Amino acid sequence: MWLILIKLAWRNLFRNKRRTIIASIAIGIGLAALIFADALWVGMEQNMVKTATASFLGDGQVHRKGFRDTQAVEMTINRLDEVNDALSQESIVEQFTPRTFAFGMITSSANVSAISLVGVQPPTERFLTQIDNAITEGAYFEGHNDRDIVIGAKLAELLEVTLGNRVVVTVAQSESGDLSQEMFRISGIYRFGDEAMEGGMAFVRLGKAQEMLAIGADVHEIAIKFTDSKYGQDKTLPFWERYSQHGNEALSWTEILPQLQAAFEMSKFSKYIMGVVLFGVVVFGIINTLFMSLYERMFEFGVLRAVGTRPLGMARLILFEAGALAVVSIALGAILGFVLTWIFAMVGIDYTGIEMMGVTIQELIYPIMTIEPFILYPIWVFIFTIITGLYPARYAAKIAPATAMRRSF
Amino acid sequence: MANNDVIVTESITKVYAENDVPVEALRGVDLTIQSGEFTALVGPSGSGKTTLLNIISGLDAPTDGKVWLSGKLLSGMSGNELSDFRRDNIGFIFQAYNLIPVLTVEENVEYIMLLQRVSKAERHRRVAAMLAEVGLAGYADRNPPQLSGGQQQRVAIARAMVSEPAIILADEPTANLDSRTGADLLDMMSHLNTQTNMTFVFSTHDPMVMDRARRLITLKDGRVESDEIKG
Repeated sequence: MWLILIKLAWRNLFRNKRRTIIASIAIGIGLAALIFADALWVGMEQNMVKTATASFLGDGQVHRKGFRDTQAVEMTINRLDEVNDALSQESIVEQFTPRTFAFGMITSSANVSAISLVGVQPPTERFLTQIDNAITEGAYFEGHNDRDIVIGAKLAELLEVTLGNRVVVTVAQSESGDLSQEMFRISGIYRFGDEAMEGGMAFVRLGKAQEMLAIGADVHEIAIKFTDSKYGQDKTLPFWERYSQHGNEALSWTEILPQLQAAFEMSKFSKYIMGVVLFGVVVFGIINTLFMSLYERMFEFGVLRAVGTRPLGMARLILFEAGALAVVSIALGAILGFVLTWIFAMVGIDYTGIEMMGVTIQELIYPIMTIEPFILYPIWVFIFTIITGLYPARYAAKIAPATAMRRSF
Repeated sequence: MANNDVIVTESITKVYAENDVPVEALRGVDLTIQSGEFTALVGPSGSGKTTLLNIISGLDAPTDGKVWLSGKLLSGMSGNELSDFRRDNIGFIFQAYNLIPVLTVEENVEYIMLLQRVSKAERHRRVAAMLAEVGLAGYADRNPPQLSGGQQQRVAIARAMVSEPAIILADEPTANLDSRTGADLLDMMSHLNTQTNMTFVFSTHDPMVMDRARRLITLKDGRVESDEIKG
């Protein structure tokens, strides 16, 4: 019996091909939009995580506990050698680099500005930052001149300096608090698209920074790049606990930049809202299609009821038709979604320079196709279509045969 | 009620409320039709033929009065019981749009047996026999739109009779057919009536049906005006 109802539903669906195709395309577009939005969201998230972590942050960082709050110069990482040795043994760590941080003042012949002076180790730093790629003038610590300083374009503009100009940097030393002053020569200017960074961050070699701060061979931060960026989002990783000992703390980027993670959660929620809105639009398409088809075949429904089809059988027939409509729509939507996503995954979407959730997008966003939306959303569409079909199904079940066949006797 | 009474109606009335104006379609119809009869319900438009057939078949409920079919009182049955009762006891032949166009001839005829959960082998056997009986052997795989009006009505007759119901209700079965095809069909039904002893009740305006009917029940203004059994 089920077979004949399924057969009947499937064939009925194609009695009015144009209507079925239009309805299927409408539902399919909804599904395709969801698949595309999902891929775009995944692509955007990865892009932003990459921008946030690969530009300077790293996937994770180790500091002395409390350093992030106070930025006190004396709060260097405890047992640095042990930490370095352990990190070089970690299979999930691809690269790590030490840094020093200090608030200071930079002075040129024309102007003065507050900066964050960052001491870096150029050979390893280039694996964790994109500053070297963002150099627009000069070079990123070529040679061995420890008087080299790399500053952002905005800071250079403020100080009215160009390559080769001299600047004086003043910082407070550890423990004593005495001021330390050194002259540097502008060796590189970077343009990063991040105004705060460009206007307030200056980079010098690690050894020189340690000397100025009088912290010996100590550092304030070790930035870590994992072999897989997913480790950076896994708060349950034993890694974090292992390096949060002896007064140090190891933090993932999600803890260092919690606003980005929160924004992702929020955008996930927006995605669900968009899904609900799209499905809401689709509902009316389904109801309209099923009811039009039902009204057109009212006499047939009367015949089916007259020859002994039970009310539930009539409801089943409509639900099968809704199911058949869903299957056709899902096939169309999945193909459309795949093609749309594939095209944009090839060409990318240009949001560069736009700041979203506190991160300035540096590269084209490429939607990333995953299998999940091709399984999950079609299941949703199917279930949703069936649920929507309940209304016309109930109507069909309640049709009085005599009313349906009034054209007959 | 006698043993061979298959249709019995008692004081059937039916009032429709059209635009809040009550319209009396039937005004107390008492009828008894016996097994094997070949009966025609005749009368002008609006006389109540349609309403009476709807009520006899359980497709509609009377406002007042009782209907017994094959000894069963219809008024006490639930929706499902009525569906099952129609499936097992009544064959329908309608004026037109009789068949489900997306099902083949074979599927149309076997539909009721699917509802009755008849085995596949038995369904095939009965469909083949019935199509042969109505002269449509070899048409099993065709779709209704590929058939002429007469052939479609033959399929409808096959569908109505394949489950061997006690009663066949036919609404203007010849209305959309030319006179030759109509006459052939009526002869076939008359032959099947004699052969199987199924009860045939027609609603009709067609003189050919009236000629062949062995009993003529004339309705007028919702009442039985005359009831003539032909010799």
